[in-house]
Amino acid sequence: MLEYKKPIPVPSDESKPYWDGLHEHKLLMPKCSACGGHWFPPTQYCTHCRSKDWAWSQVSGKGKVFSFVVYHRVYHPGFVDEVPYAVAVIELEEGPRMLSNVVGVPAEQLVCDMPVEIVFDDVVEGVTVPKFKPTAL
Amino acid sequence: MHPLRDKYAIAGTGKSPLGQVGLNSMALLEIAIQNALDEAGLTVKDVDGLVVRGADDIYAHHQVMAERLGIDVNFSTSLDNGGASQIMAIILAVMAIDAGMATTVVCGYGRDSWTRTHRNERARMGGNLVPDSQRPREHGPEFGHFGAVSHHAFGATRHMFEFGTTREDFAHISVAFREHALRNPEAQMKKPLTIDEYLSARMIVAPFGLYDCSLNSDGAGAVVVTSLERARDLRRRPVLIKGFATHNNTRGFIADDHMLVTGARKAGERAYAMAGLGPQDVDTAQIYDCFTYMVMAQLEDYGFCKKGEGGAFVRSGALRLDGALPTNTSGGQLSEAHVEGMLQIVEGARQLQGIYGPDRQVKDAEIALVSGHGGNQVCHSSLILGRA
Repeated sequence: MLEYKKPIPVPSDESKPYWDGLHEHKLLMPKCSACGGHWFPPTQYCTHCRSKDWAWSQVSGKGKVFSFVVYHRVYHPGFVDEVPYAVAVIELEEGPRMLSNVVGVPAEQLVCDMPVEIVFDDVVEGVTVPKFKPTAL
Repeated sequence: MHPLRDKYAIAGTGKSPLGQVGLNSMALLEIAIQNALDEAGLTVKDVDGLVVRGADDIYAHHQVMAERLGIDVNFSTSLDNGGASQIMAIILAVMAIDAGMATTVVCGYGRDSWTRTHRNERARMGGNLVPDSQRPREHGPEFGHFGAVSHHAFGATRHMFEFGTTREDFAHISVAFREHALRNPEAQMKKPLTIDEYLSARMIVAPFGLYDCSLNSDGAGAVVVTSLERARDLRRRPVLIKGFATHNNTRGFIADDHMLVTGARKAGERAYAMAGLGPQDVDTAQIYDCFTYMVMAQLEDYGFCKKGEGGAFVRSGALRLDGALPTNTSGGQLSEAHVEGMLQIVEGARQLQGIYGPDRQVKDAEIALVSGHGGNQVCHSSLILGRA
C-alpha cells in the first residue's frame, strides 16, 4: 500500500465519538433530545435550544453540495498528485453543514445543490474520513 | 444626533515602505507610527493610548510596540478580529478617550507576510500566516482544505450560482484597483492589468485565480486619534469620525446565509445611522479586499446596489476614480499592499484631507466609507469619515 501523505485528522476530546462512528462506517451527529435538532461540530449544549440533554445519533449521510471550491494550488505535499480537487460544504438532510471532498465526479461537473451521499474512506489503519459522491438517481 | 458623531478625529496618518521590504513587522509598524505622529506634529510623548495588531504569533503585541516607542501608556491592547481589527482599534480609541481613559491614541497594524512566505520552499507552499499551533487539526486539513482562499471562494461559488455572477465580473474589481495602484507610487504592483490577463492567469482555488487574491506584503500603517477640538490645533486638516459599528457572523462562515450576506449589512446600517448618512452620501469607499468577491458582497451589503446585482454594478465602471463610487483609490490590498485594512483607513482619511493631485484625488470628497473584514470571513467593522 502506498504511504498516505495527507494530514491525518486528530480527534479532540469532544469529537472522538464522531471519529469512532466513522471508523464503523456510521455518520454520527449530536442530536438534541429536547428540540430534536442536529448540529456540528460537537459542543456541550444544543446550539439550537441550549439543552444539555443530547446524544450522538446516526444520520442519513445524504445531503447536498451547498458550495464548493476547486484547489489548483498545492498547499500541502500530500496533495501534489490530487490537484485539481474539490472541497465542498455539504448540507446534510438533518441540517448541519460540514466540510468534505466530493469524489466520483470531475470537478468541472460539480454544481451547487447537487444531491450527494456519504462514502467512508478508510485512509489508514483506524482512521476513516467522510467523503461524498453524487447520489445515484 | 449620536453623541459621538463628529466629536473625535483622525489627526495624522502614516505608512511604512510597502511590498517586498524585508523588515520585520514591528519595525515596519514603528516606522508607520512615527510617520503618523510627524504628520500630526506630535511626538511619542503626546501618546497615552496604543491599540495595535500584528502577526498572530506575536504575544502581547501592544507591549512589545510600546516598549519600542519608549513610552508608558494609560490604555493599550492588541486586537484579535483579523481584518476587522483595525477599524475596531479606532472605535476603541474613541471609546477610551470619551471615557476619559486617554487623550491621544495611536492605532496601527504591521505585517511581514511577503518575507514570511518567501523564506524557503516550505513557507512558499504552505502560504499560511497562521502559526502551526493555531491551525485546525480536524474537519478541514484531511480534505486538503487550508485557510483563507477557500473560505472566501465558497461564497463566490454560491454567489455565482444564485445570481449568475461571473469571473469576468470579478475581473472588473481587480482591474479597477490596479489602475488606481498605477497612480500610487507607494503601491507594490506597478504593471497594468487587463481583463484578458485576469482571465488567463493561473487558478489558485477556483473560482479564484491569481488576481482575485490580495498580495503578500511587508508593510504597516498607523493613525492618530484624538478629540476634534485638539486635532484642530495640530498640523494637518483633521478627518472627522462620523460613524462606526461592528457586526460579526460568529455562527460561522458556512452557517445561515453568511457566505452571501457579510457582517457589513448590519454593521453598515448602524454606522450609517450613527453618521446620519446613507450609501447615497458616500463619495469614496475603501473596502476590505482580501479577495475580489468580498468587495462585491460588501458593496451589496452596504447598499450601493441590491444583493445579487454586484456584478452589474462593478461592470458599470463605478469603482474607477471617475466612476460613481471611486473605490480603493490607492490600489487596495489587491494592488497597493495587503496591510489588513489599515491602509484603507489611511487612504480614506487622506482623500478627505484632499492631499492628492488631480490624477489621484476623488473630486469634492466629503464622505468616505471604510470597511474592515476578517477572522475567516466572520468579523466586520465599518467606519464613516468626513471632511472637516
